Amino acid sequence: MTDSNIPPPDAASPEALLAQVALGKRAAFETLYRDTSSRLFGICLRVLNERAEAEEVLQEVYTTVWRKAGQFDATRASAMAWLSMMARNRSIDRLRAMPARNTRTPLEMADDIADPGASPAQQAETLTDRVRLENCLRQLEPKRHSLIRAAFFEGSTYEELAARIEAPLGSVKSWIRRSLMQLRTCLES
Amino acid sequence: MSGADLPPPDATDAIEPPDDDVLAGELVLGVLSARERAAAQARADSDPQFAQRVSGWERRLAPWLGDAAPVPAPAHVWPRIRSRLGWQSSEAGPGWWQSLAFWRGAAILASLAAVFAVWISQPPVRQPPVAAVPTTIEPAYQLVTSLTHDDGSTAWLASVDPAHGTVLMVPVPHAADPQGRVPELWLIPPGKAPRSLGLVSVEKSHTVQVPQDVLAALGTGSVLAITLEPAGGAPAGVPTGPIIAKGEIRT
Repeated sequence: MTDSNIPPPDAASPEALLAQVALGKRAAFETLYRDTSSRLFGICLRVLNERAEAEEVLQEVYTTVWRKAGQFDATRASAMAWLSMMARNRSIDRLRAMPARNTRTPLEMADDIADPGASPAQQAETLTDRVRLENCLRQLEPKRHSLIRAAFFEGSTYEELAARIEAPLGSVKSWIRRSLMQLRTCLES
Repeated sequence: MSGADLPPPDATDAIEPPDDDVLAGELVLGVLSARERAAAQARADSDPQFAQRVSGWERRLAPWLGDAAPVPAPAHVWPRIRSRLGWQSSEAGPGWWQSLAFWRGAAILASLAAVFAVWISQPPVRQPPVAAVPTTIEPAYQLVTSLTHDDGSTAWLASVDPAHGTVLMVPVPHAADPQGRVPELWLIPPGKAPRSLGLVSVEKSHTVQVPQDVLAALGTGSVLAITLEPAGGAPAGVPTGPIIAKGEIRT
Protein backbone atom coordinates (compact mmCIF):
# COMPACT_ATOMS: atom_id res chain seq x y z
CA MET A 1 0.00 0.00 0.00
CA THR A 2 2.99 2.29 -0.33
CA ASP A 3 2.14 3.48 -3.78
CA SER A 4 -1.13 5.23 -3.31
CA ASN A 5 -0.75 7.23 -6.49
CA ILE A 6 -2.65 4.63 -8.39
CA PRO A 7 -3.77 5.48 -11.87
CA PRO A 8 -7.52 5.91 -12.03
CA PRO A 9 -9.19 2.54 -12.46
CA ASP A 10 -11.02 3.72 -15.52
CA ALA A 11 -8.35 5.74 -17.25
CA ALA A 12 -10.92 8.05 -18.79
CA SER A 13 -9.32 11.33 -19.72
CA PRO A 14 -10.93 14.55 -18.53
CA GLU A 15 -11.71 15.23 -22.18
CA ALA A 16 -13.65 11.99 -22.52
CA LEU A 17 -15.40 12.61 -19.22
CA LEU A 18 -16.42 16.13 -20.22
CA ALA A 19 -17.93 14.77 -23.41
CA GLN A 20 -19.98 12.34 -21.33
CA VAL A 21 -20.97 15.08 -18.92
CA ALA A 22 -22.19 17.15 -21.86
CA LEU A 23 -24.59 14.27 -22.57
CA GLY A 24 -25.86 14.46 -19.02
CA LYS A 25 -24.05 11.40 -17.66
CA ARG A 26 -23.92 11.76 -13.91
CA ALA A 27 -21.48 8.95 -13.33
CA ALA A 28 -18.98 10.65 -15.63
CA PHE A 29 -19.50 13.89 -13.73
CA GLU A 30 -18.80 12.15 -10.48
CA THR A 31 -15.62 10.61 -11.87
CA LEU A 32 -14.57 13.95 -13.27
CA TYR A 33 -15.10 15.50 -9.84
CA ARG A 34 -13.08 12.79 -8.17
CA ASP A 35 -10.25 13.12 -10.67
CA THR A 36 -10.02 16.88 -10.88
CA SER A 37 -11.46 18.48 -7.74
CA SER A 38 -8.23 18.54 -5.76
CA ARG A 39 -6.44 20.33 -8.59
CA LEU A 40 -9.21 22.89 -8.84
CA PHE A 41 -9.55 23.28 -5.10
CA GLY A 42 -5.82 23.95 -4.91
CA ILE A 43 -6.21 26.72 -7.47
CA CYS A 44 -9.18 28.30 -5.68
CA LEU A 45 -7.33 28.19 -2.38
CA ARG A 46 -4.25 29.71 -3.92
CA VAL A 47 -6.20 32.69 -5.18
CA LEU A 48 -8.66 33.13 -2.34
CA ASN A 49 -6.53 32.02 0.57
CA GLU A 50 -9.66 31.19 2.54
CA ARG A 51 -11.15 27.75 2.74
CA ALA A 52 -14.79 28.68 3.05
CA GLU A 53 -14.61 30.99 0.03
CA ALA A 54 -12.65 28.44 -1.96
CA GLU A 55 -15.23 25.74 -1.20
CA GLU A 56 -18.00 28.03 -2.31
CA VAL A 57 -16.25 28.76 -5.60
CA LEU A 58 -15.49 25.10 -6.14
CA GLN A 59 -19.18 24.29 -5.87
CA GLU A 60 -19.97 27.06 -8.29
CA VAL A 61 -17.37 25.82 -10.76
CA TYR A 62 -18.65 22.26 -10.83
CA THR A 63 -22.25 23.32 -11.14
CA THR A 64 -21.17 25.39 -14.13
CA VAL A 65 -19.20 22.47 -15.54
CA TRP A 66 -22.31 20.29 -15.37
CA ARG A 67 -24.32 22.88 -17.24
CA LYS A 68 -21.72 24.05 -19.72
CA ALA A 69 -19.65 20.97 -20.46
CA GLY A 70 -20.97 21.19 -24.02
CA GLN A 71 -19.11 24.45 -24.50
CA PHE A 72 -15.74 22.85 -23.96
CA ASP A 73 -13.75 23.02 -27.18
CA ALA A 74 -10.94 20.50 -27.26
CA THR A 75 -9.29 22.29 -30.15
CA ARG A 76 -8.66 25.35 -28.02
CA ALA A 77 -7.52 23.96 -24.70
CA SER A 78 -7.03 20.76 -22.79
CA ALA A 79 -9.87 19.82 -20.49
CA MET A 80 -7.67 20.33 -17.47
CA ALA A 81 -6.68 23.81 -18.68
CA TRP A 82 -10.31 24.67 -19.34
CA LEU A 83 -11.38 23.53 -15.89
CA SER A 84 -8.42 25.19 -14.20
CA MET A 85 -8.99 28.49 -15.96
CA MET A 86 -12.63 28.42 -14.95
CA ALA A 87 -11.65 27.77 -11.34
CA ARG A 88 -9.18 30.61 -11.41
CA ASN A 89 -11.54 33.04 -13.14
CA ARG A 90 -14.34 32.36 -10.70
CA SER A 91 -11.94 32.71 -7.81
CA ILE A 92 -10.80 36.11 -9.03
CA ASP A 93 -14.40 37.21 -9.58
CA ARG A 94 -15.08 36.17 -6.02
CA LEU A 95 -11.98 37.95 -4.78
CA ARG A 96 -13.14 41.17 -6.42
CA ALA A 97 -16.54 40.85 -4.83
CA MET A 98 -15.08 40.40 -1.37
CA PRO A 99 -14.79 43.39 0.93
CA ALA A 100 -11.42 45.06 1.40
CA ARG A 101 -8.66 42.58 1.86
CA ASN A 102 -5.41 43.89 3.12
CA THR A 103 -4.37 40.56 4.39
CA ARG A 104 -1.86 39.75 1.73
CA THR A 105 1.68 39.94 2.89
CA PRO A 106 3.92 42.49 1.25
CA LEU A 107 5.46 41.16 -1.89
CA GLU A 108 8.97 39.99 -1.68
CA MET A 109 10.52 40.99 -4.90
CA ALA A 110 12.69 37.96 -5.04
CA ASP A 111 15.47 37.99 -7.53
CA ASP A 112 15.32 34.30 -7.91
CA ILE A 113 12.19 32.33 -8.44
CA ALA A 114 11.85 28.98 -6.82
CA ASP A 115 11.29 26.33 -9.42
CA PRO A 116 8.07 24.56 -8.62
CA GLY A 117 8.86 20.97 -9.54
CA ALA A 118 6.49 19.69 -12.17
CA SER A 119 3.96 17.19 -10.95
CA PRO A 120 4.48 13.72 -12.34
CA ALA A 121 0.91 13.71 -13.52
CA GLN A 122 1.56 16.46 -16.00
CA GLN A 123 1.66 15.26 -19.50
CA ALA A 124 4.64 15.80 -21.71
CA GLU A 125 2.83 18.37 -23.77
CA THR A 126 1.84 20.47 -20.79
CA LEU A 127 5.37 20.19 -19.57
CA THR A 128 6.78 21.53 -22.79
CA ASP A 129 4.39 24.48 -22.62
CA ARG A 130 5.34 25.03 -19.01
CA VAL A 131 9.03 25.04 -19.89
CA ARG A 132 8.46 27.44 -22.74
CA LEU A 133 6.55 29.81 -20.50
CA GLU A 134 9.28 29.60 -17.89
CA ASN A 135 11.99 30.28 -20.45
CA CYS A 136 10.17 33.33 -21.70
CA LEU A 137 9.59 34.55 -18.17
CA ARG A 138 13.26 34.25 -17.46
CA GLN A 139 13.91 36.74 -20.19
CA LEU A 140 12.06 39.36 -18.19
CA GLU A 141 13.84 41.26 -15.50
CA PRO A 142 13.70 39.16 -12.31
CA LYS A 143 11.62 41.78 -10.53
CA ARG A 144 9.05 41.91 -13.28
CA HIS A 145 9.07 38.16 -13.38
CA SER A 146 8.07 37.92 -9.74
CA LEU A 147 5.59 40.75 -10.11
CA ILE A 148 3.78 39.06 -12.95
CA ARG A 149 3.80 35.74 -11.14
CA ALA A 150 2.30 37.31 -8.06
CA ALA A 151 -0.32 39.00 -10.18
CA PHE A 152 -1.27 35.70 -11.72
CA PHE A 153 -1.29 33.52 -8.64
CA GLU A 154 -2.89 35.91 -6.24
CA GLY A 155 -5.16 37.79 -8.56
CA SER A 156 -3.89 41.11 -7.24
CA THR A 157 -5.07 44.24 -8.99
CA TYR A 158 -2.69 46.86 -10.29
CA GLU A 159 -3.59 49.00 -7.30
CA GLU A 160 -2.83 46.25 -4.84
CA LEU A 161 0.43 45.38 -6.50
CA ALA A 162 1.49 49.01 -6.48
CA ALA A 163 0.67 49.31 -2.78
CA ARG A 164 2.46 46.11 -1.94
CA ILE A 165 5.69 46.96 -3.65
CA GLU A 166 5.35 50.65 -2.86
CA ALA A 167 5.77 51.74 -6.44
CA PRO A 168 3.74 54.25 -8.44
CA LEU A 169 0.64 52.75 -10.06
CA GLY A 170 1.68 54.03 -13.47
CA SER A 171 5.03 52.27 -13.27
CA VAL A 172 3.45 49.00 -12.22
CA LYS A 173 1.02 49.19 -15.10
CA SER A 174 3.68 49.87 -17.64
CA TRP A 175 5.97 47.15 -16.28
CA ILE A 176 3.26 44.57 -16.50
CA ARG A 177 2.02 45.67 -19.89
CA ARG A 178 5.52 45.60 -21.28
CA SER A 179 6.12 42.23 -19.72
CA LEU A 180 2.94 40.91 -21.32
CA MET A 181 4.03 42.11 -24.73
CA GLN A 182 7.48 40.61 -24.28
CA LEU A 183 5.98 37.35 -23.19
CA ARG A 184 3.66 37.24 -26.15
CA THR A 185 6.47 37.87 -28.57
CA CYS A 186 8.63 35.24 -26.95
CA LEU A 187 5.88 32.63 -26.78
CA GLU A 188 4.72 33.19 -30.33
CA SER A 189 8.21 33.05 -31.77
CA MET B 1 -4.53 58.08 -32.19
CA SER B 2 -3.23 61.33 -33.65
CA GLY B 3 -0.09 62.72 -32.21
CA ALA B 4 -2.12 64.86 -29.84
CA ASP B 5 0.13 65.49 -26.95
CA LEU B 6 -2.26 66.15 -24.11
CA PRO B 7 -0.84 66.28 -20.65
CA PRO B 8 -1.92 63.27 -18.67
CA PRO B 9 -4.90 64.04 -16.45
CA ASP B 10 -3.37 62.11 -13.63
CA ALA B 11 0.17 61.04 -13.08
CA THR B 12 -0.94 57.49 -12.33
CA ASP B 13 -2.52 57.23 -15.75
CA ALA B 14 0.44 58.66 -17.49
CA ILE B 15 0.60 55.78 -19.90
CA GLU B 16 -1.48 55.10 -22.94
CA PRO B 17 -4.47 52.84 -22.71
CA PRO B 18 -3.43 49.33 -23.64
CA ASP B 19 -4.19 47.83 -27.01
CA ASP B 20 -6.78 45.08 -27.17
CA ASP B 21 -4.34 42.26 -26.87
CA VAL B 22 -2.70 43.70 -23.80
CA LEU B 23 -6.13 44.32 -22.29
CA ALA B 24 -7.00 40.66 -22.89
CA GLY B 25 -3.70 39.74 -21.25
CA GLU B 26 -4.52 41.92 -18.26
CA LEU B 27 -7.89 40.26 -17.93
CA VAL B 28 -6.37 36.79 -17.93
CA LEU B 29 -3.50 37.79 -15.68
CA GLY B 30 -6.04 39.06 -13.19
CA VAL B 31 -4.82 42.60 -12.58
CA LEU B 32 -7.96 44.49 -13.51
CA SER B 33 -10.18 46.05 -10.87
CA ALA B 34 -13.69 44.71 -10.40
CA ARG B 35 -15.16 47.31 -12.74
CA GLU B 36 -12.56 46.98 -15.49
CA ARG B 37 -12.74 43.24 -15.22
CA ALA B 38 -16.50 43.15 -15.60
CA ALA B 39 -16.25 45.44 -18.63
CA ALA B 40 -13.59 43.29 -20.26
CA GLN B 41 -15.59 40.12 -19.57
CA ALA B 42 -18.68 41.66 -21.08
CA ARG B 43 -16.68 42.57 -24.11
CA ALA B 44 -15.34 39.05 -24.47
CA ASP B 45 -18.93 37.83 -24.41
CA SER B 46 -20.00 40.06 -27.26
CA ASP B 47 -16.88 40.56 -29.35
CA PRO B 48 -15.56 37.31 -30.87
CA GLN B 49 -12.27 38.88 -31.86
CA PHE B 50 -11.60 40.01 -28.34
CA ALA B 51 -12.72 36.62 -27.04
CA GLN B 52 -10.13 35.06 -29.32
CA ARG B 53 -7.45 37.23 -27.79
CA VAL B 54 -8.58 36.21 -24.34
CA SER B 55 -8.33 32.54 -25.16
CA GLY B 56 -4.92 33.17 -26.68
CA TRP B 57 -3.73 34.48 -23.33
CA GLU B 58 -5.44 31.68 -21.48
CA ARG B 59 -3.51 29.25 -23.63
CA ARG B 60 -0.25 31.07 -22.98
CA LEU B 61 -0.65 31.29 -19.23
CA ALA B 62 -2.49 28.01 -18.58
CA PRO B 63 0.72 26.03 -17.95
CA TRP B 64 1.11 28.05 -14.76
CA LEU B 65 -2.05 26.59 -13.35
CA GLY B 66 -0.32 23.28 -12.88
CA ASP B 67 1.84 24.93 -10.23
CA ALA B 68 -0.85 25.28 -7.61
CA ALA B 69 -0.51 22.33 -5.26
CA PRO B 70 -3.58 20.08 -5.33
CA VAL B 71 -5.59 20.11 -2.10
CA PRO B 72 -8.26 17.46 -1.53
CA ALA B 73 -11.66 19.09 -1.49
CA PRO B 74 -13.51 18.62 1.80
CA ALA B 75 -15.97 15.74 1.80
CA HIS B 76 -19.03 17.93 2.20
CA VAL B 77 -18.47 19.82 -1.05
CA TRP B 78 -19.64 17.01 -3.30
CA PRO B 79 -23.01 16.50 -1.57
CA ARG B 80 -23.52 20.26 -1.79
CA ILE B 81 -22.83 20.28 -5.51
CA ARG B 82 -25.35 17.48 -5.90
CA SER B 83 -27.96 19.37 -3.99
CA ARG B 84 -27.25 22.55 -5.94
CA LEU B 85 -27.93 20.59 -9.09
CA GLY B 86 -31.14 19.39 -7.54
CA TRP B 87 -30.04 15.78 -7.44
CA GLN B 88 -31.69 13.96 -4.62
CA SER B 89 -29.36 11.68 -2.77
CA SER B 90 -31.53 8.67 -3.56
CA GLU B 91 -31.78 9.03 -7.31
CA ALA B 92 -29.24 7.92 -9.84
CA GLY B 93 -26.98 6.11 -7.48
CA PRO B 94 -25.63 8.07 -4.57
CA GLY B 95 -21.94 8.87 -4.49
CA TRP B 96 -19.72 6.49 -2.61
CA TRP B 97 -19.31 8.88 0.30
CA GLN B 98 -23.06 8.97 0.68
CA SER B 99 -23.33 5.25 0.63
CA LEU B 100 -24.09 3.62 3.91
CA ALA B 101 -22.13 0.56 2.84
CA PHE B 102 -19.07 2.73 2.38
CA TRP B 103 -19.42 4.30 5.79
CA ARG B 104 -20.25 1.02 7.41
CA GLY B 105 -17.00 -0.25 5.91
CA ALA B 106 -15.22 2.89 7.07
CA ALA B 107 -16.59 2.47 10.56
CA ILE B 108 -15.45 -1.12 10.63
CA LEU B 109 -12.04 -0.08 9.39
CA ALA B 110 -11.90 2.65 12.01
CA SER B 111 -12.74 0.22 14.76
CA LEU B 112 -10.21 -2.26 13.44
CA ALA B 113 -7.65 0.50 13.23
CA ALA B 114 -8.37 1.41 16.82
CA VAL B 115 -7.90 -2.16 17.89
CA PHE B 116 -4.75 -2.36 15.83
CA ALA B 117 -3.43 0.85 17.37
CA VAL B 118 -3.96 -0.61 20.82
CA TRP B 119 -2.30 -3.78 19.67
CA ILE B 120 0.81 -2.16 18.24
CA SER B 121 1.19 0.07 21.27
CA GLN B 122 1.57 -3.04 23.39
CA PRO B 123 5.17 -3.94 24.04
CA PRO B 124 5.64 -6.76 21.60
CA VAL B 125 8.09 -8.95 23.46
CA ARG B 126 6.98 -9.72 26.95
CA GLN B 127 3.56 -11.04 26.55
CA PRO B 128 1.01 -11.52 29.18
CA PRO B 129 -0.29 -13.18 26.16
CA VAL B 130 -3.86 -13.04 25.08
CA ALA B 131 -6.58 -10.79 26.37
CA ALA B 132 -4.57 -7.60 26.87
CA VAL B 133 -6.10 -6.73 23.55
CA PRO B 134 -9.83 -6.48 23.36
CA THR B 135 -10.87 -9.66 21.68
CA THR B 136 -13.74 -8.02 19.88
CA ILE B 137 -12.00 -8.03 16.56
CA GLU B 138 -15.28 -8.87 14.97
CA PRO B 139 -16.75 -5.43 14.39
CA ALA B 140 -19.23 -4.85 17.10
CA TYR B 141 -20.82 -1.84 15.42
CA GLN B 142 -24.04 -2.97 13.95
CA LEU B 143 -26.21 0.07 13.63
CA VAL B 144 -24.88 2.73 11.36
CA THR B 145 -26.92 5.88 11.47
CA SER B 146 -26.41 8.76 9.14
CA LEU B 147 -26.90 12.13 10.82
CA THR B 148 -27.87 14.49 8.05
CA HIS B 149 -28.27 18.19 7.61
CA ASP B 150 -31.61 19.58 6.50
CA ASP B 151 -30.46 19.44 2.89
CA GLY B 152 -29.92 15.71 3.19
CA SER B 153 -26.14 15.80 3.18
CA THR B 154 -24.39 13.65 5.72
CA ALA B 155 -22.77 15.45 8.63
CA TRP B 156 -21.81 12.55 10.90
CA LEU B 157 -22.00 8.83 10.76
CA ALA B 158 -22.78 7.16 14.04
CA SER B 159 -21.95 3.51 14.57
CA VAL B 160 -24.01 2.39 17.51
CA ASP B 161 -22.77 -0.54 19.53
CA PRO B 162 -25.51 -1.38 22.03
CA ALA B 163 -23.53 -4.28 23.45
CA HIS B 164 -20.76 -2.03 24.67
CA GLY B 165 -22.84 1.07 25.15
CA THR B 166 -20.73 3.11 22.78
CA VAL B 167 -21.28 5.23 19.72
CA LEU B 168 -18.46 5.77 17.25
CA MET B 169 -18.92 9.21 15.72
CA VAL B 170 -17.38 9.72 12.28
CA PRO B 171 -17.72 13.32 11.09
CA VAL B 172 -17.75 14.40 7.49
CA PRO B 173 -15.22 17.14 8.19
CA HIS B 174 -16.70 20.61 8.07
CA ALA B 175 -15.93 24.04 9.35
CA ALA B 176 -16.43 24.86 13.01
CA ASP B 177 -19.27 27.21 13.92
CA PRO B 178 -18.12 30.79 13.28
CA GLN B 179 -19.78 31.88 16.52
CA GLY B 180 -17.68 29.42 18.48
CA ARG B 181 -20.54 27.13 19.47
CA VAL B 182 -19.74 23.45 19.71
CA PRO B 183 -21.66 20.40 18.50
CA GLU B 184 -23.32 18.33 21.21
CA LEU B 185 -24.78 14.88 20.65
CA TRP B 186 -28.20 13.95 22.01
CA LEU B 187 -30.01 10.68 22.25
CA ILE B 188 -33.74 11.13 21.95
CA PRO B 189 -35.78 8.03 22.84
CA PRO B 190 -39.22 7.97 21.22
CA GLY B 191 -41.52 10.34 23.07
CA LYS B 192 -38.90 11.25 25.67
CA ALA B 193 -36.66 14.18 26.42
CA PRO B 194 -33.20 14.39 24.83
CA ARG B 195 -30.28 13.08 26.85
CA SER B 196 -26.85 14.51 26.28
CA LEU B 197 -24.12 12.15 25.13
CA GLY B 198 -21.52 14.89 25.27
CA LEU B 199 -19.65 17.01 22.80
CA VAL B 200 -18.48 15.68 19.46
CA SER B 201 -15.71 16.64 17.09
CA VAL B 202 -16.31 18.11 13.64
CA GLU B 203 -13.10 16.69 12.28
CA LYS B 204 -12.04 13.54 14.10
CA SER B 205 -13.67 10.19 14.68
CA HIS B 206 -14.09 9.30 18.30
CA THR B 207 -16.10 7.04 20.55
CA VAL B 208 -18.77 8.32 22.88
CA GLN B 209 -19.67 6.36 25.98
CA VAL B 210 -23.39 6.18 26.67
CA PRO B 211 -24.37 6.56 30.36
CA GLN B 212 -25.76 3.40 31.96
CA ASP B 213 -29.17 4.78 32.65
CA VAL B 214 -29.92 5.63 29.01
CA LEU B 215 -28.38 2.51 27.60
CA ALA B 216 -31.78 0.91 27.16
CA ALA B 217 -32.75 3.69 24.77
CA LEU B 218 -29.72 3.13 22.59
CA GLY B 219 -31.47 1.20 19.88
CA THR B 220 -33.79 1.36 16.95
CA GLY B 221 -36.43 4.05 16.99
CA SER B 222 -34.36 6.52 18.98
CA VAL B 223 -32.98 9.59 17.30
CA LEU B 224 -29.44 10.90 17.43
CA ALA B 225 -29.27 14.65 17.02
CA ILE B 226 -26.57 17.30 17.10
CA THR B 227 -27.19 20.80 18.38
CA LEU B 228 -24.88 23.78 18.56
CA GLU B 229 -24.23 24.73 22.16
CA PRO B 230 -22.06 27.21 24.01
CA ALA B 231 -18.45 26.12 24.55
CA GLY B 232 -18.44 23.51 27.26
CA GLY B 233 -21.85 22.18 26.31
CA ALA B 234 -25.47 22.90 27.11
CA PRO B 235 -25.36 24.34 30.61
CA ALA B 236 -28.40 22.63 32.11
CA GLY B 237 -28.23 19.36 30.21
CA VAL B 238 -31.04 20.60 28.01
CA PRO B 239 -30.43 21.55 24.38
CA THR B 240 -30.44 25.29 23.83
CA GLY B 241 -29.15 25.68 20.27
CA PRO B 242 -30.41 24.72 16.84
CA ILE B 243 -30.39 21.13 15.64
CA ILE B 244 -27.87 20.95 12.81
CA ALA B 245 -28.05 17.25 12.04
CA LYS B 246 -30.08 14.26 13.04
CA GLY B 247 -30.85 10.67 12.18
CA GLU B 248 -32.93 7.82 13.47
CA ILE B 249 -31.22 4.66 14.64
CA ARG B 250 -32.35 1.84 12.39
CA THR B 251 -31.33 -1.69 11.77
